[in-house]
Amino acid sequence: MDIYRIADLNILIRSLHGDVHSLCSDYRLADAAESCADIRVSVSQEDIDFERAASAREDEREGLPVRVFSDGYLETLAVYRAIAERLPFFDTVLFHGSCVAADGEGYLFAARSGVGKSTHARHWMEMLGGRAVMVNDDKPLIRVRGGRAYACGTPWDGKHRLSSRAVVPLRAICLLERAETNDIRRITPKEAYPALLQQVYRPAGEEAARRTLDLIDELSACVDLWKLRCTAGPAAAVIAYEAMKGDRK
Amino acid sequence: MKLKKEFLVHDTGTETVLVPTAAAGFSGVVRGNRTFGAVLECLKNDVTQEEIAGALRARFDAPEGAIEADVERAVSELRGIGALDEQLV
Repeated sequence: MDIYRIADLNILIRSLHGDVHSLCSDYRLADAAESCADIRVSVSQEDIDFERAASAREDEREGLPVRVFSDGYLETLAVYRAIAERLPFFDTVLFHGSCVAADGEGYLFAARSGVGKSTHARHWMEMLGGRAVMVNDDKPLIRVRGGRAYACGTPWDGKHRLSSRAVVPLRAICLLERAETNDIRRITPKEAYPALLQQVYRPAGEEAARRTLDLIDELSACVDLWKLRCTAGPAAAVIAYEAMKGDRK
Repeated sequence: MKLKKEFLVHDTGTETVLVPTAAAGFSGVVRGNRTFGAVLECLKNDVTQEEIAGALRARFDAPEGAIEADVERAVSELRGIGALDEQLV
């Protein structure tokens, strides 16, 4: 058992394997008392088997050979799922996307699998150099409270393991689509809504799911929303940055 | 019939949507017009298709048979995605 400080929450994790504790080691709270935990998570073999089946279904859906993962790795996914089920009660959701902080403000890129959100985020990092920080390249947490949104780094940061422990104000969410040329425009919450719903983890628990829907409404009202049709090249990052850093809505 | 608890009716402020939780077998989102929203509202309780049509007739002016056709279409769509618990009535 260990306690980790993630998204300004103390999360107690009990696991069957060591992988999740290695993954979260940068976030560990040394000598923390069990009583300080905001969220307590423990995982069973059944939870691990659930992740294995979910992964296989996803591979089959995408027409890929079913990948084989260790119980330890699958447990890391089960732990994040268990945390995500509780997060809405702390005004927080798990968002599938890549989040870069530029000059201290977060820009969150979301797209269907394979479109290239990580590639686009990498172009931002290369373009901005020391002015940019990768908050999380895969599954940042987004806290929405008091009419403001914050992007939070977590250890669950994708295959390239790109993240930091940063918590930054979230300025904008940008939905990416692949195209032959680069073009960016503002979109309304109504236009963004289906994509936001798809990118945010929707809990199985009814009350948590209801809170999640309320948080998505609040999120879409307090950040700038954009749609970027883009190539895979670095010019897309220039166009996106120039538009998104401008006047707020 | 009634909406299963794995499906949530949510008013975004600009539209009514039907959203499944992670426990549902369906992962999409259903958006509809005002009539569809009214059907979803009715289905929060255990009702028959005729009762839904009656409730909508009391709210909306429409040509003869139009509401019944809209309700039939909505119920069929909801049945198709497994959103209805029909063992109740």
